Amino acid sequence: MKKLHFESVKDKADEIVSAVIGTDEVSSCKNDFFTLHLVCEELIVNIASYAYENDGYLDVEIEKMPSEITICFRDGGKKFNPLERKMPDTTLPLEERGIGGLGIFLTVKKMDSVVYDYVNGENVLTVKKTIVNEK
Amino acid sequence: METTFEVKQDGTVLNIVLNGQLATANAPALMEELNKYKNQGVTKVSFDATNLTYIASSGIRVVIFAKQKLGGNPEIEFINCNQEITGVFEMTGIKEYINFIKK
Repeated sequence: MKKLHFESVKDKADEIVSAVIGTDEVSSCKNDFFTLHLVCEELIVNIASYAYENDGYLDVEIEKMPSEITICFRDGGKKFNPLERKMPDTTLPLEERGIGGLGIFLTVKKMDSVVYDYVNGENVLTVKKTIVNEK
Repeated sequence: METTFEVKQDGTVLNIVLNGQLATANAPALMEELNKYKNQGVTKVSFDATNLTYIASSGIRVVIFAKQKLGGNPEIEFINCNQEITGVFEMTGIKEYINFIKK
């Protein structure tokens, strides 16, 4: 299990995304790298932008098994379950489409499991994906 | 990390060359650039995605913005769009509003 701790998230989304997708666990998932990059970016950008009034930390834990990768994001910001957010209606004509909520929508669509929990004052979002044979 | 784009106007067509990524780091800047062409009779926005390898929801929002907010409901075109990016357009339900072209 790889554990990354970021003391500050304010204006650091890019840096944090690069660090997470740069880990051996993520970067070795060749066939799913695009998806993992996308999901990490969407979740980290949301935390960096909205979790804290000012600034705060983010812990990321990554566990890679032979056929599955699990990434867990923990922040100490205000309690927020992104899965309770209204998902965008992607069947509406484009002209009438709202532009919010696409990030979490893509996360839920792309991953096999997305679970939210609020534990000891922390938002804990755990995403899992079966990984395709990379050889 | 390459995050550049280039916008050129050719009559009523906006040609946008995308490089590397269209994501949180550069999508807001592109949206701001596009905003300058609002209500100026743009009939088509053509994105050259030959060198685009990655798009995030912030990039999708740029495409929605071009369709919704430029005025006149312009045609949206993507040149040489890779499969993974096309997949994101499909998932978000905007694929049918885009003309995909191979050059």
